[in-house]
This record gives sequence, C-alpha cells and structure tokens, in this order.
Amino acid sequence: MSQMTDADNSFIQEALPAFISEAQEQIESLEQLLLQLEDAPGDTELLNALFRCAHTVKGSAGIFGLDRVVAFTHHVETLLDKLREGQLELTPALSTLLLQCNDQLRTLIAQARDADTAETPEAVAERATLVERLQAAAGHADKDEQAADTAPVTDPAPSPAPAGSARCWHVSAAFGTETFRNGMDPLALLNYVRGLGSIPNLVCDIAGVPPLDQLDPESCHLAFELGLETDASRAEIEGAFSFVREDCGLHVLEPGATPEDYARLIEAMPDNPRLGDILVACGAITRAQLQQGLRTQSEAAAAGTAARPLGEILQSTAGVSATVVNAALNKQTKGKQRDAANAASAAAASGDDGRFIRVQADRLDSVINLLGELVIAGAGAALLARQTRQGTLIEANAQISRLIEEIRNGTLQLRMVPIGETFSRFRRVVRDTAAELGKDVAFEIVGGETELDKSVVERIADPLMHLVRNALDHGLETADERLANGKPGQGKLTLSACHESGSIVIRILDDGRGIHREKVLARAWERGLVEHGVTPPDEDILKLIFEAGFSTAEKVTNLSGRGVGMDVVRRNIEALRGTVMVYSDPGEGSRIEIRLPLTLAIIDGFLVGVGASKFIFPLESVVEVIESRSAISTPDTHGHNVVELRGRVLPVVNLRTLYDLETEEPERVSVVVIKSGAHSYGVMVDVLLGQHQTVIKPLGRMFQSLRGMSGSSILGSGEVALILDVNSLGEFAAGKQPGPAKSRDAANDGHKTLIRS
Amino acid sequence: MARRSKASTASSPVSPVALSVAIPLALPAELTIYTVGELHPQWLAWLGQAAAAVPNESRAEIQAAAVEQVDAAGLQLLLSLQLALAERGRSLQIQAPSAVLRGGCEALGLSEWLQAQMAHAVQMPEGAQA
Repeated sequence: MSQMTDADNSFIQEALPAFISEAQEQIESLEQLLLQLEDAPGDTELLNALFRCAHTVKGSAGIFGLDRVVAFTHHVETLLDKLREGQLELTPALSTLLLQCNDQLRTLIAQARDADTAETPEAVAERATLVERLQAAAGHADKDEQAADTAPVTDPAPSPAPAGSARCWHVSAAFGTETFRNGMDPLALLNYVRGLGSIPNLVCDIAGVPPLDQLDPESCHLAFELGLETDASRAEIEGAFSFVREDCGLHVLEPGATPEDYARLIEAMPDNPRLGDILVACGAITRAQLQQGLRTQSEAAAAGTAARPLGEILQSTAGVSATVVNAALNKQTKGKQRDAANAASAAAASGDDGRFIRVQADRLDSVINLLGELVIAGAGAALLARQTRQGTLIEANAQISRLIEEIRNGTLQLRMVPIGETFSRFRRVVRDTAAELGKDVAFEIVGGETELDKSVVERIADPLMHLVRNALDHGLETADERLANGKPGQGKLTLSACHESGSIVIRILDDGRGIHREKVLARAWERGLVEHGVTPPDEDILKLIFEAGFSTAEKVTNLSGRGVGMDVVRRNIEALRGTVMVYSDPGEGSRIEIRLPLTLAIIDGFLVGVGASKFIFPLESVVEVIESRSAISTPDTHGHNVVELRGRVLPVVNLRTLYDLETEEPERVSVVVIKSGAHSYGVMVDVLLGQHQTVIKPLGRMFQSLRGMSGSSILGSGEVALILDVNSLGEFAAGKQPGPAKSRDAANDGHKTLIRS
Repeated sequence: MARRSKASTASSPVSPVALSVAIPLALPAELTIYTVGELHPQWLAWLGQAAAAVPNESRAEIQAAAVEQVDAAGLQLLLSLQLALAERGRSLQIQAPSAVLRGGCEALGLSEWLQAQMAHAVQMPEGAQA
C-alpha cells in the first residue's frame, strides 16, 4: 500500500490515461443520472447506479493514489449512500450541490492528468466548502430524516468536531468471496486498521463459513464486527478498506450511534448471521444479555414448550428496542430477494460492458485514410482491367471492388456514434442556464440514437452549445412574461436529430418569443451591417443574426449576447460542409436547423461528365435522371433554366454555363434531379458515368471560393472530379427562380420564413 | 497473489498424513492462501478416514506447533474443519498452537474460538450452533 516499486509506477503511468478517460465517462454518467433523478426522484435503480458510478471513481482513484479524488469522492459517496438508503430525499438544492461536486470531481480528474500541478488556495478552499456542505447535508439526514428537504445545503453547518479525544466507531465488514483471490488478506487489513487506533472488541462472524466438505478454500466467507477507538476520520477508516471495497459489505457507524443506526446496519448486512451475534457484535446488547436469552430459550425447549423465536425472547427479557430486533428478523426474508435482484442487474451490466471494446481514435483514422487510398487504387485497377478486355480479370476486379465497398461501409460504421451523448450534455447546460436566468424550461431530446461520424459529433458540440444558450437567453421568456402572453409558464426547448437524404438534420426548437425582425433590422442599422434606412428582404434580415458583431440582447449577460458566436457558429457549421437555417414566427418561437453530412471521409457518389470535366453528386441526394433535349429552353446568362417534370416546374442549373466550360453542348442531355432539404432541382449534364465510391479530398485554397463545390476526389484514371455541394447549388438554382419570391410574401403574412446561409 | 484452479487442487496427491487415524493431523508451517488449495483435499481425506476408523471418538486432535505463517484464508480453512467436525459430533483439539497461530487468531478476533478448541473439557464453542 505504501511502498511502490518502479514496476508499479510504470504500470500506473501506462494505465493512468485509461483511468482518466474511464473516470470522465463515469462523471458524465453521474451528471446524467443526477439530472434524470430530478425528473424521477426516488428511483432506486437510478440511485444505485449513481452510487456505483461514484464508487467506481473512488475505487480506481484509490489504486492510482489520487488522494484528493478519493477523499472528495468519499464525501459524495457518503451522501449518495444516504440517498440510496432512503434516509435523505433528493431536493433540488441537494441536486445542485451534487452537480457542483461532480464539477469539482471533473476538475480533480483533469488535474490528475497533468500530474503535479499545484492547487491554488482558492481551489482548496472551494473544495473544503463543498465538503462542508456535503457533510452538513449528510449529517442533517442523521439527525432528522423527516425534515430533510428544508434546504440543508443553503445553511452549511460547521464541520464535525475536530479530532481530539479518541472516539469509538463501530465497523462492520463482510468480505466478498473474491477477497483472497484478489490477493487481499483480511488479517493484514485488520492489522492495518489496528494501526489507526485500538480495537477494544473484535468479533469474527464465522456464520458464513461452510464446513470443510462444502468449502472452496480460496473463497472468503469471513465477516467482522469491531469497535475502533481512533481519532481518524470516516474517510481514513473507510480508506483502509479501499482495496476490498468493491465486494466488501462495509458499514462504519459513527461514535454514539443510536439503536436505529444499528437497526439499519442489521438491515444492510448480508444474510444468515445469527441474530444474537449481530446484536452482541453491534453492542446493542451485552453478551450477558444474549446468554440470558439463550438460556431462556434452551430452558423452554427442555421444558417441552414450543420455543419462542429468539427475537421475541430478547425483546421480552433483555429489553432490546423493538426496531433493532425487527430489523434483524425482517432482513432474513428480504435479503434473499434483494440479492437475487442485485445479481440480475449486475449480470445485465456486465453483459453490456462485454459488447464494447475501446479503440484509439487515431488508429481508426489511419485505417480510414488507408481505406481511402485503397478505394482510389481499386478504381484504378478496375479501369485498367476494363481496358484489357479480359473477362476473367474484369470479373475478379469487380469482386474486389464489391469487397472494398463492404469494407468501406463497415469501417465508416465504426466511426459512427449516436448524437444522443452530445445532446444529453446539454441537459446540464439547460438546467443551470435556466436557473440562472430565472426561467422555467422543459428540455426534450428527440432522436438521440441518430448516428453520425465521430469527428462531426465532436465539432458540432460547440456550435450547438451556443445555439442552445442563445435559445435560452434570447428565445425563451420568463414565466411571468409567458403567462402574460397566454403561453404556459414553462418554456419548451427541444433538441432533435434525424437522417434526411444522406445528411443529418439537427433542430433546435423553442417556443419562446421568436425573432423580431424589426429589432434585428434596427440593430443591423446601428452596427452598420446594413446601410441605414435600407430594408433588405425579410429572409436576409433573419440571416443577419449570423453576421459578425451582431447581438440583439438588450442587456449583455454572461451567458450569451456578447455578440460573438453566431457568426462563429455559422463558420463552424460551414466548415463541416453543413448549413444552418433559421425559421421563426414572432411570438411563437424559433427553429434553427443544422444540416450536416454524415461523414467527412468517403461517400457514395454519382459521377457525371460535362464536356471534359467530371462532377460528383452525393448519391443519396440524387432522386432520378430525366432525358432532355438541350433545345427545350435556353438558359439565361447565369445558367438558370427550367423544365417541366410531371406537371411541376423544376429549376435547372446548367453547369456548362455556370462554370463557363468551353465545350459544345451535345444534342441530348440528361437532367439529374437532386433533392436538397425540402426542395428539388435539376442539374443538366452531358453524360452519366454511374455510381462511384468517392474519397473526399479538400479543395485547394484557390477553389474554396467557388460556389457549389464542397470538395474534390481522385478518380481511378487519376483525373480529378469536383464534388458538388447540393445545398449551395440548390440555393443557386432557387435563388434567381423566375416568378414571385414565394418566401418573401409568406413572411409578410407572418408565416414561416426560410433563410439559407 | 497466486491463483490456483480447483482442477489442480483436486488432482494433488493425498498426503501420507491422512493414511492413519492414529496420527493426529499436523498443521504445516505455512497455513495461508498459498497452501489451502493443497491442504483442503488432504484434510477432507483425513476427516473421512477418521470418521470411518474410530466412529465413536468425540475428539479430533491437531498438532499446531509447526505453524510459522498464517493468514485469513488458512484460518478460515481451520474454522471450516472445526465446523465439519462439529457436524459429525466431534470437537477439535488444537494441541500446542504456535505463537504465530495464536497471534493470527487474535488478530482476526478468534482468540475465544481458539481457547474453546484447546480446552480439554468440551464446551459449546461460541461459533458453533446447530
């Protein structure tokens, strides 16, 4: 425990990153569980899970010698234990305290990563305050269970009396069966505990030990009840058991515990120890009282009268308080059911763990890079095979291509993660932000299971955070304001995700005050974003909120409204080849829609040719292809055109005109019908070259300003094809569409306005 | 700490100690997690033979002077032996326990138990109840 060899140290150095990442996950789930508990207070399963999380953090931190984490988590654990045992109710104030503690834990774990960072006195003081509040909350439960919800945290009591005179604790430790096999020796451990003070009485509970013929000699069946006179704190006492805590039933009762405390102890102990021993060991009655009871029982048996249960005898002759005895008697029946339930949930949990393996992200990335090269090389080989016109070679190559495609799909699937994890992080943000702003907000997550590429998930979190805060700060009103406007007092914020034609759509909906176009315009004039007096089209007004240096908040809060952000949000999203749109009905709320590609690496493309140039559409966005004569109508100078498709007018983009390609237009052309969001448009191309596995390469600097392009790809022949960005191309197709601007009229009627950025 | 599978312990040979009931069971120098796997089948064999050979004997003698190392697993094995004997209506007689064994029992709160196993007069040991 104390001396570490070099081998131990190097092991710890190697294992620490794994511990930190695991601890961070545990802390994350702690937070989620706490937030879930706010909606379902008293849910025992959640409470148990909560306790397990804290316990796991503490246990593994102990192995790594992270004393600060162990000491602090211990206090959290104590409080959680009280919650779990139902001695304390989870009040909002308590929940806030626990969330703050969780933040503290997160900080401590982060410090563990950058080892040897000295703590500032402020940080130490902050932690001490939290510990005091935790102790106050936990101590409160001891004294008065009924009044637990009278804000124990707002009124922190001074920490318990400093160590002075030795006090006698009661420790009950039932070692788990794996104790010996895990290399632990209860004998050595008890000797260590003895070092903390003195053990005036120690009882080895051997009731769990089976006779020799049923014994597995390497399983531990020992349990101990001991009194411990020591100045040590609860943390120090429990710390002595930290190496066996995992499967050890440990209960530490403070000096001066009441009979009720002992009754609870009896409840909590594993079943089958004999009632008498428990009571003696607990100190609830003396050995003399027990023997008196035993004698009465045996006399009764000898006299031939029906033996009364021991508990009853004890109650009548020794004056043991009824609660203690009842607790001991009840637990025999309850114990078995509880164990069965625990075993079942443990089995379920371990089943879940077994289904995952941890892989470093950069290893996965290098596989995907290689895969990209493989796809390109494979396409080149297939092309060469076709040129040889050897049937068997072409067939073999086709087979290889199929396999490559399967590998590609499988590998990309590996990087897909559900977005729910990112979403649920916002629960805390919403909770704290709403509380800070004095607003009542219900937060809902829809479609959390929707999967997208890990790198996209990571990079979308920050923009989302900003949008959520913005909705809380600017969008949703206070309860009074809402009621005055005839809305329910509680605001609603929804974060949703779904797949839609090859992209993922993330929506942030609120039922707040919406965006006031007049205010936006006034601010834009003030900031010089728009020339004073000029009223741009409605759709462009909403778009102004994404301009740099724009803020509509009447007062700047520390949450949002500094005027930085929305433009950064837009830039971040565009960097992911995504788009962001705002829809808003004044007074009804607003909706922000983010559209992102599923992956940044490889897509299924649809290859087309215009003259000598090759272009690629993402295959998911291609709806159909129609034959067309180029002479149907002549495009305007920007390449706009329309065709009739089943009685509907379809805007068509002519790439030849758009990109000024100097080749003759063939007589017959094809129109590829593309779906972008809710709209469709056509793109006129010369030849269709079919499906193509497209490895996306970024566009060079020179081409980044090009409209309608999102990237490039290398074809098997070594040619470069440009990947079309269907959204911006759609914008282009719709932008100069002949006829009245539908969206503008609609907006004037107070209907939804669509803005594309 | 070494981990032994049950299969290997079951196949270990039975010690000659167990061959005769006349010979009391002698505790080894090391009574720890490292030896309980070997000792368990030997003690079981001794237990069976003792019961078969002298059915009416009420005591089972154990030589405990040689014990030099002890841990909780070893003491648990001894406890378990005593419980098995008690089931068969016999009491354990621990002869001349070494200082190490006494110390181990004391550390685990088993001093009274050890006293009971050393006493000549058969008492109802506090740890054993039918």
